Amino acid sequence: MTAPATRRDAPDSLRLDLLDKTAIVALAVALGFAFLTPPEATQGNVARLFYVHLPTILVAYASFAVTLVAVVAYLATKRLAWDQLAGAAAEVGVVFTGFTIVVGMIWAKPTWGVYWTWSARLTLTAVMFFAYLGYLALRRAIEDPVLRARRSSVLGILLIGMVPIVHFSVIWWRDIHQGGTVLRPDEMQIDGILAAALVAGFVAWSLVGFALIRRGWRLARLEGDLEIALRSGDGPAAGDAVTAPLLDGPREGTS
Amino acid sequence: MTITPPVVELAGVTVRRGVSIVLRNVDLSIQPGEIVGLFGGNGAGKTTLLEVLATSLRPTSGNAAVLGTDLRGERRLEVRRRIGLIGHSPALYPELSLRENLVVACRLTGAPDDRIDDVLAIVGLGGVAGRRGRECSYGMQRRTEFARELLLAPELLLMDEPHSALDVAASGLVEHLAADVTARSGAAVLVSHDRERVEKISDRSVELVGGTIGGGGDGG
Amino acid sequence: MVATVADLSLIEQARVIAGRDLVRERRRGEVAWVIVPFGAIAMMLIPLGIGIDTPTLRRIGPGLFWVVVLLFGVLVTVRRTAADGPAERALLLRFGVDPVAELWGRTAAHVVLLLVFQVVVGLVTVVLYDVDVSRWPVVAILLPLIALGLALLGTITGGVAAATGGSNLVPFLVAPLAIPLLLAATESIDGSTTTRGILGWLLLIVLVDTILAVAGVLTARPLQEIT
Repeated sequence: MTAPATRRDAPDSLRLDLLDKTAIVALAVALGFAFLTPPEATQGNVARLFYVHLPTILVAYASFAVTLVAVVAYLATKRLAWDQLAGAAAEVGVVFTGFTIVVGMIWAKPTWGVYWTWSARLTLTAVMFFAYLGYLALRRAIEDPVLRARRSSVLGILLIGMVPIVHFSVIWWRDIHQGGTVLRPDEMQIDGILAAALVAGFVAWSLVGFALIRRGWRLARLEGDLEIALRSGDGPAAGDAVTAPLLDGPREGTS
Repeated sequence: MTITPPVVELAGVTVRRGVSIVLRNVDLSIQPGEIVGLFGGNGAGKTTLLEVLATSLRPTSGNAAVLGTDLRGERRLEVRRRIGLIGHSPALYPELSLRENLVVACRLTGAPDDRIDDVLAIVGLGGVAGRRGRECSYGMQRRTEFARELLLAPELLLMDEPHSALDVAASGLVEHLAADVTARSGAAVLVSHDRERVEKISDRSVELVGGTIGGGGDGG
Repeated sequence: MVATVADLSLIEQARVIAGRDLVRERRRGEVAWVIVPFGAIAMMLIPLGIGIDTPTLRRIGPGLFWVVVLLFGVLVTVRRTAADGPAERALLLRFGVDPVAELWGRTAAHVVLLLVFQVVVGLVTVVLYDVDVSRWPVVAILLPLIALGLALLGTITGGVAAATGGSNLVPFLVAPLAIPLLLAATESIDGSTTTRGILGWLLLIVLVDTILAVAGVLTARPLQEIT
């Protein structure tokens, strides 16, 4: 019996490789930098969250950009690997967006006095979170890999087309209803150690995002192979484990 | 004449569905140890008769008793666990593994669950016990149902098209399961279009024509 | 050897059914991936529709939360893994499951999933609407009581609708019947309601739950007859 090529990768997949280790070290360094920065004048220590908040949302955007490219590549080539990449990148994008929102809320409460404001940027981030969560839910709901790839790439294209429209509509809506200005992170002065902390944050979170997408992609490929093996009813992976019934005791097989 | 009460005793059973009469004045008596083949064309009432025996359908009129229990009374619920049922299409929880499906069957009926691995091995599914129901082929799901009935050890076994979806190696399971039930002084009813195959393992044939029992006659 | 027909208690059967439902749902993930996010996004869309005046949102937040729980939370009871298909019926028939045990098992699973829905959507409401959370002990009592009422409504109407072959009838059947639950829930966390008033509304919910439970038990067997 020929073992599927993927089986050789499987035991390794739990082990951390060079990229994973680099990402972890970089993350530790970046967090170290964030704590080296002096407390912000008005906000105090909570402003350190900025060095997490900004890099993670940028990684989220980058992940959604990867999804976009992968969806287009899938539609052009019809190769399942591209669809699997699109799914893996969207997962990382959703996780990072959710993480950014939570970090933002923790930051906002002591700073603004509320967890949430209906600024265009915040609203959009939440919309994007839900839109891509829907994309993932759709992927999860379709079992057949090819069908899933086709259907979800249609939704992927739709998201690509609609997100900018949503973006502008929300900005327009906020322009009409603009109240008093709120304290914005970009008013903070960035120099010296602060810039270093920010750069370290970008590098570290990018590495983490990249490592996670790579892992997710590999997992999706393995799952894809497994699904195909299970689905091909009489194929070796599905049929071999089913044996002839043991009728009238274990000695007798049935011919 | 038998001293032990019959497993199935139907007298003048009539079933109406809406305006149409599906079963008309059916008399049927099945003794312990009997394997009965039930035949008939489409719409002859085979499945309806099976539903009556499975206690899911109350007869409109007539007397019906299974394992000594009147099917029109409230004690129907208790007799259900003693009636095995392998329906037309496999009934498994798709999200649960084959093994888990059997565990649920044991827990809900109070049957001991220490034989699950044995019966899975008997039906040839020992190697795929952990696979989810929805990942299994029709034939594997069917085999799981046979494993379930071996486990729950019913006294009356009802099978609707039991050979469908079973491969050559597995089709011996039908006879094995029926023999398992009759060895415990139970009885089995096999509904099938595959008359030749079923007659080989049954003691008697019953033919339904237009909702009444006709033709057929007693076999060996 | 005769099959062991142990005398299973109703509670044991209900417990197995609830466990089965929760495992199936955990694996399919419809509640976690579809219904809960749908409820959360509903809470987000409403301010976009009616404007984002913070004092207004703070005032209407609790009421909107209960409306969303009622309209969207009911979807929990019609999720795919709770569907009453022919195979499902055949299995419960085969196992001789007491319809009353089935009612309680299914309802218990609904309650757990509805609580998850309520907690997540509730947190979203607190965050987005900046609502007053000083009455959280009342909310903590309300959530399970409302969940039980909705779960029972969902189970019973689901059984009724199963005869029609369509579960999308359930939210429509539930909505008007859930009005007492909605009123009681909103009123008992309204800042102007007195402690005595709260107790009155809570008692109303308990009464509704009790009536539904009795109705469920009384109709469980006849409902199984239909199919």
